[in-house]
Amino acid sequence: MALVHKWMNGTYSLRKCLKLSDASRPFLSTRFADYCSSGLQKPVATPGKASAQGNTEGGLQGDHQREVALDITSPEDKPEASFDKAIKDEIKDHLRRLKDDIVNHWIGPEGRPLHEVLMEQAKVVWQFRGKEDLDKWTVTSDKTIGGRSEVFLKMGKNNQSALLYGTLSSAAPQDGESDRSGYCAMMSRVQRGPFDIKRPYDWSQFNTLYLRVRGDGRPWMVNIKEDVDMIQRKNQMYSYFMFTRGGPYWQEVKIPFSKFFFSNQGRIRDAQHQLLLDKISSIGFTLADKVDGPFFLEIDFIGVFNDPAHTEEFAYENSPVLNPKLFK
Amino acid sequence: MSWAQGILLARSLSRGWRGICGTILMRAPFSQVPSQAPRGLHCSTATHNSDSSLVPSPPEPLRGPTKALSPHEELFRQSPDVARDKATFVRAVQNFGQHNVHKRGHVDFIYLALRKMREYGVEQDLAVYNLLLDIFPKEVFRPRNIFQRIFIHYPRQQECGVAVLEQMENHGVMPNKETEFLLIQIFGRKSHPMLKFVRMRLWFSRFKNVNPFPVPRDLPQDPVDLARLGLRHIEPDLSARVTVYQMPPSKDSTGTADPTEQYIVGIQSPDQQAALARHNPARPIFVEGPFSLWLHNKCVYYHILRAELVPPEEREVGEIPEEWNLYYPMQLDLDYGRSGWDDYEFDINEVEEGPVFAICMAGAHDQATLAKWIQGLQETNPALAKIPVVFRLAASTGELQASSGLEEPFPPPLNGQEEEEDDPQRHQQGQS
Repeated sequence: MALVHKWMNGTYSLRKCLKLSDASRPFLSTRFADYCSSGLQKPVATPGKASAQGNTEGGLQGDHQREVALDITSPEDKPEASFDKAIKDEIKDHLRRLKDDIVNHWIGPEGRPLHEVLMEQAKVVWQFRGKEDLDKWTVTSDKTIGGRSEVFLKMGKNNQSALLYGTLSSAAPQDGESDRSGYCAMMSRVQRGPFDIKRPYDWSQFNTLYLRVRGDGRPWMVNIKEDVDMIQRKNQMYSYFMFTRGGPYWQEVKIPFSKFFFSNQGRIRDAQHQLLLDKISSIGFTLADKVDGPFFLEIDFIGVFNDPAHTEEFAYENSPVLNPKLFK
Repeated sequence: MSWAQGILLARSLSRGWRGICGTILMRAPFSQVPSQAPRGLHCSTATHNSDSSLVPSPPEPLRGPTKALSPHEELFRQSPDVARDKATFVRAVQNFGQHNVHKRGHVDFIYLALRKMREYGVEQDLAVYNLLLDIFPKEVFRPRNIFQRIFIHYPRQQECGVAVLEQMENHGVMPNKETEFLLIQIFGRKSHPMLKFVRMRLWFSRFKNVNPFPVPRDLPQDPVDLARLGLRHIEPDLSARVTVYQMPPSKDSTGTADPTEQYIVGIQSPDQQAALARHNPARPIFVEGPFSLWLHNKCVYYHILRAELVPPEEREVGEIPEEWNLYYPMQLDLDYGRSGWDDYEFDINEVEEGPVFAICMAGAHDQATLAKWIQGLQETNPALAKIPVVFRLAASTGELQASSGLEEPFPPPLNGQEEEEDDPQRHQQGQS
């Protein structure tokens, strides 16, 4: 099923791009074609939220196909719809990635020498330097529950940063049960290895999250999800606030992981515990500050680093009033 | 069961039969009895008036989405000339207490008052919330024995109390001792509203001062003051100076003032001034904007004066003269015995952009207004007279600001749409 979906996605983008590039060819050179391919991601990512979410393919694979699509130049070439070929390519690709994985494992963790990984004090986890980096992210808004907020993600000026922008609207959906609404979010996709095995991040040697952003003065929330297998824990996450200053200058946000508090289904839990960093599945940014209007957030890169001056383990003590069982 | 069905069937059959007889046998054009078609068992007993009957039918109960007035709505209904503020709200709440000695329907009234709070502009007032909680009768809903404590005692009232606290939470109102006292008096110590209160007290105090860029809660109404506040908020350099280049036309001077005269407030730090003086006059500088800035729930727009990024071959490396510090030279080529463990730099090229020379907020976002800002800047920056200035203004909705997206799914590309320049030669410079 996933294969079919992926294959259809590929052909769809291929056809659309061919059409666009065909139309634009008399006017402009390849630069315009670049822009058209950037606009192409939006209809995939934004209106069909469900499909974008359900489509959990790895970023690598999608890029590969899209690049292939861009390489084909003559619009007369119809993409042959061969089901067997798509499956074969898919299997080949997964086997190739499996082989890379095994070879990398021979060299060291993540394909780098062990001493390099051990001595690493700062690591860039997500950067935005090209369109393929955007495929590692999804955006959602309260349109999925019937609200009116809109959110888009695209590359910023000079293809150097990601620009998350849209409009927040707190008009409640008219479904009879929701009485408030208004959120926009951006979430990273789960990293996947060969055969779509989940590959959570291991940040246990770092203690601070680092973001280089530029915003418009609105407060955001940074959510970190652990990789869990229990379905009962799928709504649990650890959150903290990210306040943007606004203005033309870039801003460096450092959030120690000890500050993240624990919540389940959007409610802060009484029994707080520390975020364990050895299996991090995804990170997300949520805007829900109840102020209607446009917003933007530019992200340069997201990294983790080890701050030797920070020794706090967990910032929130448990209250004996709220959970006396912990104090018996 | 069967006998009940039988009776019902018989009744409906007889009714249907009577209706048929009435229409067929009597053939009266004006039948007094409203005719009825035979119906099944599950039809309602509401009569179907045929078109032929002239008897005015009783108005059918409207099933549509008519807005039913909730009880106690009349307390909030008042003549339109009375201002809706805290005093009238408090009076309405007190009226409820006076008219209703037994506090009948107080839960409905509190829900209604919670909905009305935003209209009256009291949603951030702690005293009003305490007043609402004060409506609850005291000591009645407190559990008195172990069983009442185990099972939720008076659940509807407790839910209402939680709703009051929830609205406080949504508006960021921190409960105080009086709230706690009221809740203990009304619901007792072991109750859901009290639990909610404890949680709020715990987390609100933790996150109260967490914002590193605080904005005062009451923003100034005057746009010039607001612009001043916004510019100070943006600029991290504390030695920067805010200058009001142009005041808005005052209200009393009517007619004579040009309506295009808008306020212009700018900010520039000494470092930026020095950088602008050093700027190579052959390279143009740009006025970009408008960009949005949110201060709580107000959006203001600012413009920046910036240059393109200087290419690396033209960058002059500032030599630090060694005599600045005799004992500790500023430049050292030693490695301080650092090893691979001490590399705290991220392995990435950060996004670099051209230097920003000044920021301004103006009442209008057109080129004429911003040209006045540049003129004003020239007084303190004489170098600006030699540097060509290119206006890169986006549409009035703002550049980075997203289009509403309804009519155009693809927002305009980021580089400015209108590049205007009076001097064509300068324009070429700007594009080169």
